[in-house]
Amino acid sequence: MEWNPETLQFLSQCFLHTLSPQPEPRRAAESSLSEAADRPNYGLAVLRLVAEPSVDEQIRQAAAVNFKNHLRTRWVPSNDLNAGPTFSPILDPEKDQIKTLIVSLMLSSSPRIQSQLSEALAVIGKHDFPKSWPTLLPELISNLQKAAQSSDYASINGILGTANSIFKKFRYQYKTNDLLLDLKYCLDNFAAPLLDIFLKTASLIDSTASSPGGGSPATLQPLFESQRLCCRIFYSLNFQELPEFFEDHMKEWMSEFRKYLTTNYPSLESSGDGLALVDQLRAAVCENISLYMEKNEEEFQGYLNDFASAVWSLLTNVSQSSSRDKLAVTAMKFLTTVSTSVHHTLFASEGVIPQICQSIVIPNVRLRDEDEELFEMNYIEFIRRDMEGSDLDTRRRIACELLKGIATNYKKQVTDIVSLQIQNLLSSFATNPSANWKDKDCAIYLVVSLATKKAGGTLVSTDLVDVQSFFLSVIVPELQSQDVNGFPMLKAGALKFFTTFRGLIQKPVAFQLFPDLVRFLGAESNVVHSYAASCIEKLLLVKDEGGKARYTSADITPCVPVLMNNLFNSLKFPESEENQYIMKCILRVLAVADISSEIAGPCIAGLTSILNEVCKNPRNPIFNHYLFESVAILIRRACERDASLISAFEGSLFPSLQTILANDVTEFLPYAFQLLAQLVELNKPPISPSYMQIFVLLLSPDSWRRSSNVPALVRLLQAFLQKAPNEVNQEGRLNQVLGIFNMLVSSASSDEQGFYVLNTVIENLEYGVISPYMGNIWNVLFMRLQNNRTVKFQKSLVIFMSLFLIKHGATNLVDTMNAVQDNIFLVILEQFWIPNLKLITGAIELKLTAVASTRLICESPVLLDPAAARLWGKMLDSIVTLLSRPEQDRVEEEPEMPDIAENVGYTATFVKLYNAGKREEDPLTDVKDPKQFLVASLAKLSALTPGRYPQIINENLEPANQAALLQLCGIYNCQIV
Amino acid sequence: MADDSPASHRRDPIKSSVGNVAAQRRRQNAVTVGKERRESLVRAKRLCRVGPSGDGDVPGEENDMVTDEEGFLLDAQTSSAVEDLKSAIAYQGKGAMQKRVNALRELRRLLSKSEFPPVEAALKAGAIPLLVQCLSFGSPDEQLLEAAWCLTNIAAGKPEETKALLPALPLLIAHLGEKSSLPVAEQCAWALGNVAGEGEELRNVLLSQGALPPLARMMLPNKGSTVRTAAWALSNLIKGPDPKAATELIKVDGLLDAILRHLRKSDEELATEVAWVVVYLSALSNFATGVLVKSDAILLLVERLATSNSLQLLIPVLRSLGNLVAGDSHTTSTVLIPGHEITDGVIKVLVKCLKSDHRILKKEASWVLSNIAAGSIEHKQLIYSSEAVPLLLRLLSTAPFDIRKEVAYVLGNLCVTPSGGDGKPNLIEEHLVSLVQRGCLSGFIDLVRSADIEAARLGLQFMELVLRGMPNGDGPKLVEQEDGIDAVERYQFHENEDLRNMANGLVDKYFGENYGIDE
Repeated sequence: MEWNPETLQFLSQCFLHTLSPQPEPRRAAESSLSEAADRPNYGLAVLRLVAEPSVDEQIRQAAAVNFKNHLRTRWVPSNDLNAGPTFSPILDPEKDQIKTLIVSLMLSSSPRIQSQLSEALAVIGKHDFPKSWPTLLPELISNLQKAAQSSDYASINGILGTANSIFKKFRYQYKTNDLLLDLKYCLDNFAAPLLDIFLKTASLIDSTASSPGGGSPATLQPLFESQRLCCRIFYSLNFQELPEFFEDHMKEWMSEFRKYLTTNYPSLESSGDGLALVDQLRAAVCENISLYMEKNEEEFQGYLNDFASAVWSLLTNVSQSSSRDKLAVTAMKFLTTVSTSVHHTLFASEGVIPQICQSIVIPNVRLRDEDEELFEMNYIEFIRRDMEGSDLDTRRRIACELLKGIATNYKKQVTDIVSLQIQNLLSSFATNPSANWKDKDCAIYLVVSLATKKAGGTLVSTDLVDVQSFFLSVIVPELQSQDVNGFPMLKAGALKFFTTFRGLIQKPVAFQLFPDLVRFLGAESNVVHSYAASCIEKLLLVKDEGGKARYTSADITPCVPVLMNNLFNSLKFPESEENQYIMKCILRVLAVADISSEIAGPCIAGLTSILNEVCKNPRNPIFNHYLFESVAILIRRACERDASLISAFEGSLFPSLQTILANDVTEFLPYAFQLLAQLVELNKPPISPSYMQIFVLLLSPDSWRRSSNVPALVRLLQAFLQKAPNEVNQEGRLNQVLGIFNMLVSSASSDEQGFYVLNTVIENLEYGVISPYMGNIWNVLFMRLQNNRTVKFQKSLVIFMSLFLIKHGATNLVDTMNAVQDNIFLVILEQFWIPNLKLITGAIELKLTAVASTRLICESPVLLDPAAARLWGKMLDSIVTLLSRPEQDRVEEEPEMPDIAENVGYTATFVKLYNAGKREEDPLTDVKDPKQFLVASLAKLSALTPGRYPQIINENLEPANQAALLQLCGIYNCQIV
Repeated sequence: MADDSPASHRRDPIKSSVGNVAAQRRRQNAVTVGKERRESLVRAKRLCRVGPSGDGDVPGEENDMVTDEEGFLLDAQTSSAVEDLKSAIAYQGKGAMQKRVNALRELRRLLSKSEFPPVEAALKAGAIPLLVQCLSFGSPDEQLLEAAWCLTNIAAGKPEETKALLPALPLLIAHLGEKSSLPVAEQCAWALGNVAGEGEELRNVLLSQGALPPLARMMLPNKGSTVRTAAWALSNLIKGPDPKAATELIKVDGLLDAILRHLRKSDEELATEVAWVVVYLSALSNFATGVLVKSDAILLLVERLATSNSLQLLIPVLRSLGNLVAGDSHTTSTVLIPGHEITDGVIKVLVKCLKSDHRILKKEASWVLSNIAAGSIEHKQLIYSSEAVPLLLRLLSTAPFDIRKEVAYVLGNLCVTPSGGDGKPNLIEEHLVSLVQRGCLSGFIDLVRSADIEAARLGLQFMELVLRGMPNGDGPKLVEQEDGIDAVERYQFHENEDLRNMANGLVDKYFGENYGIDE
């Protein structure tokens, strides 16, 4: 793409139209842009447009966004096969030009464009910096120094922002010599200029803040932003280890850090935005000192006392305020780090721990307006934070972390004080429950959060309260409250407590509350009915000692009708239509309860109606997964009890499954095929005609084109082959199956799936049925071998030949192959089987191929012929390699060709349904140990012609393999004579 | 080059969700951005205030503090001393030589007077070209000595001041040769040592000008002071990061014998300097490491560790031992064989270091142990049954972070043997069970919580061992009791992909959705 007035005109028009509210011109512009993006120098042209002052700012901004995204996909196009479509990369000359232009352009643009270009620059930096972009850092530094001289903070912050993003990698990559070299380069060049600008800005802040009125917010804002960026860069550069320069200048850094924690800037802090800005700087400081505290506590020791008291008094203020979250969190994290360090004695003095608890922990744990809002407005996010551990950065959680931290060294004090606090909160609640309900919430939260976390429903412990009596006196009253909608947050807290401590609540107590849990499924609050469902679901998983379920079908069966009814009803609440907690509870109940036909009937009706609904627009994959699992388990358990139910299931499910197939609901196809497979397996032959219709669909090549379908289709095909082998062999269906195999195996991207199909056929059908087709099958395979022999294909071929040999014998294998072309068997053996055998991986595959190869050299006349002695030896050599060496010594990583076709145009993936599942079968159950099989077979063979094989072995096996073989003979006490 | 590349990072097997790094020897990273440990920084450049041969003016009073006025005066005196030297050199008449020596001595006296010598004033006044002139061949020893001494103290200054010596380097190197008198050679070595201590760039200049062979030859005789200075200068010169100089040094005829002889016989002060040479030889050059491990070096280092209580000496000796263990598998496979006296000796001295109050000794001793623990099963058993384990367990719960991390490597290595076919390390159940029973799990889980990603990885790896390897499937319960699930969940969305996968893999496998369900 050449840079000329026409290009300028074209691009400006396009970007203008991309902003259009009308869909047609917008789409047209977007598609011309994405077409143009494939042309060389497109990125450069867009960048030039961004720089063109005559063009409207709005257009340039859109161009800047486009430029950034263009770089993201094309600077270094992803090699990841699953990442979606691949793009043509930007060529080196264009890259060089972009790199030359971008820094100065970024610095001279308006703030909005600047931030886009800064991100674009970070994209380049991620790949090219520092080694392929040696001019970047010097350029940034010289610009920084220039901008500093004129106190041009727009540029300074642009440069610091860029530096911040390119240095971020030092925060999470492993310490390797390469990384350290990069870091050293950055430190050598940037550490000193960073300190310079930090100190310069610091003194500007000091002088501005001490001027009358404390300076104007407009002056102070960029200065604080600049300091924050310096702090973030400090963090990156110090993350791996303490650099010499920073150690030498620790005092300068630390005294400014401390100033920001202890000084107020009223002119800025009087506004919400201004306060947020100062707090961001303080939070960044807290992260830095936490880092030093954790990793360099010896060097930092001298500053510790000052910082600890600064952070403490800061927190005492911040904790009372309802915004300022990030600062509160980072400040508490610092204290947590101190509390677990060798300097924990700071907390030892009289009164410190109670005060921390009183003035920091409790205020941060108390519910705030934001929490209430989230509870009502976004129940999913609330649950994620409250129940599922996504609260790593919430005040409530971090306040509890602080307590846990202090408790590592002062357990008794912490336990005593918190227990007391809990008592106080509860008595405050008792004096006026409706006004002080948040006190009770706070008490419950403390008990739950400070308990040691457990998974899987086993014991949870806490030293704070006696769980049993706390449960009876505090939790049970909430659960028995007749109004399921009153004080919903307290109800949620009580349900969470029950769920968390479910293992400790004795069965009679819990059991008595079961109807109450069922009742809460009818609460209007989404959180409350979700928690009720979740509580029931988790209770059903509780195991007693010895692994037996505590709650059995006998316990719950009486209330299952009401329970199921309430569960299905709660799915009708607004926003709970696809509530995964409820669906999971349905699944669990179906897994435990007795499935009588009275229960099965309404359940299948309920589930199919939901299924029909979600088919229209699959949205929540987790909900949908539990839905299909529920259907699968319902079928499985109901039909186990009463096989006659199958037709009822077929009656209700078929229409839904047919809708999925007919409307090609991509996301659900793999599920539908698995359910069908399950139904086919439950059927008694002969298979009903409606299945045969589906079988026809199964044989359509289109179904197999999507790789996400293939495992499920193979599973379904297996079911048909097992249940209806005769039908398969009628009406030319086997031909169609082999046609699918042919199609799949011809392309490198789907050949594995092709082998799935072929192997299923070979495993399940009689030799007489398949023998007429073998010539054709070999032809297809040899053709592919000739056209495109990937390692993966060769390995699959070896596996297939092995399977064939195991199922139908060596003679059939050799004869059918040689029927295609004289003597081709030995050629294939030498060129493909022997060399690829040692590359086989996977336990079942390894055993299969080893045993098949062993049988080949011990049974097949072709190989027993003295003329084939060399091949015999080479084959054995390969078998011994396969069996005696660990996988990583045998198998080299093979370069695979990228699969493009596989990744275009769909998003569905195959997810296995546990309850419709089938185990991976070992075709060779009679052989346990392939090594033993090998030496025993060899021993038997050699006994027939003593003296012959030791010589062949001696001539053809690598010395290491000869030794390994000898060792194996020793282990299994067999001899090759 | 091939044999000298710094420790390569072995690739972990692809399949393992939790790698087996814990079972490998670790070298210190060849690149460092942190300060060299203080002990060596102090020694990188040294002022010469008392001449090597004991002459020179001992500063009369312990008056090191220089007030501003005194400093000003000193600067003025120095400028005029340089002027005097200039005229003394210009002077061609009778007694010219003595005049030059006197002027030099005056300048040297001023440059040795305080801890903050007036280097800047001397340079400004143009001292360097004059001093270079005084180094010319055929000059009397006294003159050479004084000039080299002046240069020594100038080189002890700030980086750009050290760099000012560039024109003097060829002559300083030339005077190292056998034809020079010992005091002159030694003083020149001192000056060059300061130059080498400045940094890589100047080291490369010195190496290209051939400073190494004559310095190396100065180490061969048994002359205490000379050897000490030469060793110190060499330790600066071979610091790398390019390993070439270290390899070149060990190849010098007789050098290895000299090192061993000095390590065996010399006083602690000399042994300290020699040990620093061994530190850099073994840290940088695989070739040198290979030569050293096949000599008596390890034995001698162990003896020094056993008999000395000087921290100055113990640090380089311990570091050398560690490098030899980490750098070459020969050390553990053929020298430190369990059952041999020397092996018991090593464990004993390491225990001694673990018990010391000094942080660096504890840390480095743990590092050395971790590398021995990466050896054979017998090595693991030996350490496991030694006095080290209770000490290590205590350190894991009480020591500062950097020591805890090293200790964790030892304990982790005691529980595994290198991986079998599936990429995961094999367990030594007996060790694992007993260490866990003695409470080490909480220490590892603390590491999982730390901000240091390598420590976190180690913590996760150990946790994987516990989850997989504790008998009766007790692992998950134990991890739960130590609040380990919570610690692992922090990595759910971590930016480091490896850690994220490891953590999520553990949670899925051991605490996943269906954890505790029979099906």
